[in-house]
Amino acid sequence: MFRLTAIWEAFRVATASLRSNKLRTALTLVGIVVGVAAVIAVVTIIKGLNQTVAQTFSSQGSTVFTISKNPQIIKSREDFIKFNRRKDVTHEDAEAITRLCTACWRVGIAANAVETVKYADQKAENVRIRGVDPTTMFDIDGVTINVGRIWTESEGAAGRDICVIGPDMLKNLFSDAPADRALGNEIRIDGRPYTIVGVLEPLGSIFGFSRDNVVYIPYSTYQRAYGGRRSLVTFIQVQTTDQLEAAEDQVRTIMRSRRHTPPDAEDEGFALETQDVFLNLYGSATSNIYIVTIGVAAISLVVGGIVVMNIMLVSVTERTKEIGIRKAIGARRKDILTQFLIEAVTVTAIGGAIGVATGFGLAYVISALIGFPLLVSVASAVLGVGVSSVVGIASGLWPAWRAARLDPIEALRAE
Amino acid sequence: MSDATLTLIPPESVTTPRVEVNGHDPRMLISMRNIWKTYQMGTEKVHALHGVSFDIPRGEYIAIIGPSGSGKSTLMNLIGCLDTPSEGEYWLNGKNVSEMDDDELARIRNQEVGFVFQTFNLLARATALHNVELPLIYGGVGASQRHEMAKKALQAVDLTERMTHKPNELSGGQRQRVAIARALVNHPSILLADEPTGALDSHTSMEIMDLFERLHSEGNTIIVVTHEHDIAARAHRVISIRDGLIEKDERIR
Repeated sequence: MFRLTAIWEAFRVATASLRSNKLRTALTLVGIVVGVAAVIAVVTIIKGLNQTVAQTFSSQGSTVFTISKNPQIIKSREDFIKFNRRKDVTHEDAEAITRLCTACWRVGIAANAVETVKYADQKAENVRIRGVDPTTMFDIDGVTINVGRIWTESEGAAGRDICVIGPDMLKNLFSDAPADRALGNEIRIDGRPYTIVGVLEPLGSIFGFSRDNVVYIPYSTYQRAYGGRRSLVTFIQVQTTDQLEAAEDQVRTIMRSRRHTPPDAEDEGFALETQDVFLNLYGSATSNIYIVTIGVAAISLVVGGIVVMNIMLVSVTERTKEIGIRKAIGARRKDILTQFLIEAVTVTAIGGAIGVATGFGLAYVISALIGFPLLVSVASAVLGVGVSSVVGIASGLWPAWRAARLDPIEALRAE
Repeated sequence: MSDATLTLIPPESVTTPRVEVNGHDPRMLISMRNIWKTYQMGTEKVHALHGVSFDIPRGEYIAIIGPSGSGKSTLMNLIGCLDTPSEGEYWLNGKNVSEMDDDELARIRNQEVGFVFQTFNLLARATALHNVELPLIYGGVGASQRHEMAKKALQAVDLTERMTHKPNELSGGQRQRVAIARALVNHPSILLADEPTGALDSHTSMEIMDLFERLHSEGNTIIVVTHEHDIAARAHRVISIRDGLIEKDERIR
């Protein structure tokens, strides 16, 4: 009962004192608000990104790995030169894997080009042209047909000039017409006409890059249009993740035996990669951003804490007389200590709350601009207010202790 | 000590029969025994009080008078438990205050002592009612009982209508009455007033002194510390301090 009464009194005194010094309180708050808002915004944005990235890669899934000449991430110039000396991964390699790998479920090949696509007087730029074979590559890529159909295997083998378009093509070439209106029309890529046989379901965008800005064509067609002796990427999918390792081993053996690579060769001669490569790169990149931003925010919180401490010291000095009065009528050390601690914590907790709101607001604006989901987490809000309250205690402790130790006689003498 | 004919009690030689239990007289509200207060000023030791002894029974109205530098402020701080003596024993309401630590002293101040200051020392931002409630807050009294007690105390000093006013909306006399209500709200053993009329005009001073008289007649023990003889003359007993010693201890009424 006693503690509650004293704490409530301390809280009343704290809020009254904060109200009576509005400008000072506002300036004190800024330091805390900036720090907390920065943390909340970064945490929220990165959470949103994480979710987007996780969803994106899980559409292709952890059951897929690739065989290619060059790895997707090249870390040095030496590596680049080394990888360029490797043999191309060919259609025959893919056929051998299809034939020999028993743990593999689906095998396909894909090659990409970036082109401008035209229809009538409309133009779509930087479109990814993806030559694939066989049509199971659609399944491996995790894309599905919305309207129309995929080409047949015989159409594909014949190298017909047909295509399946991503939904962005509807928007950019057909003025957002319904998907079935696009079917049967001819689009031009690099001057060649292609007949649209199907339209894909939208996948959305990641980091502002649309994943629907794509045109799928049969690999034979691609080969005729862009030349055959280009290295391609072989995609291999297993049925369940626990088969992944076995499939990888088989594929490695097949590739090495086809190329007669000695067991002690310095370079394997090809890159076997799972989507983990991306996830790992992404994870390490964002974790660095995380650490750096949280570090910067922590520094601003420390600065905010010093501001609070400074203000509290001023407050204690200004209110020496008041402390003397309170002590004279029976306030104990811990009553005075509690009073000033609560005052410090009240400022920083309010600052923390405003910071949380500002941080979510910032994250909302940024996520709306870039286009990924806003994940407001209660935990980070609680953490924001909690951490700022701890800052309040840490920075208020010394001033409060000084106040509590004041000699009542001297304090009463102060003006 | 209720001997009405006793007019002079020489220091160090109290003539009334005395009962000593554990070194103090249990019948007395205040029992000071050979109190010394020494301050270290640089390398020099300054004795503000050297060997002061007196008793105050319950219900007395007493003035402590002395020029500045006489040690009367030091004595007041000791009586009010704001400080402890360097030597000697101080018994207040049966408790040996001279050996208490800070927090115990705070508790004694809260329960046993009601301060009235020259400059009122009210909290500027708080209403009269809240100012009066303050000792009860530190005493751990619940909100509803607290309001009740504070209202009664303000009633006792005729300030019921000004409860919600802040000190800057009150006159000097009204402020001092709020301070007196604050001092009395916890029913302390002593009402300790330090130059209570020092900041007031003579008319208001008389009102405050009349109020003290009334409070005394209602059974309160009142100690007024002053350097003004006409204020001291309102008391029933006057202790004169000079150079850290009791010069005179006389009953005047």
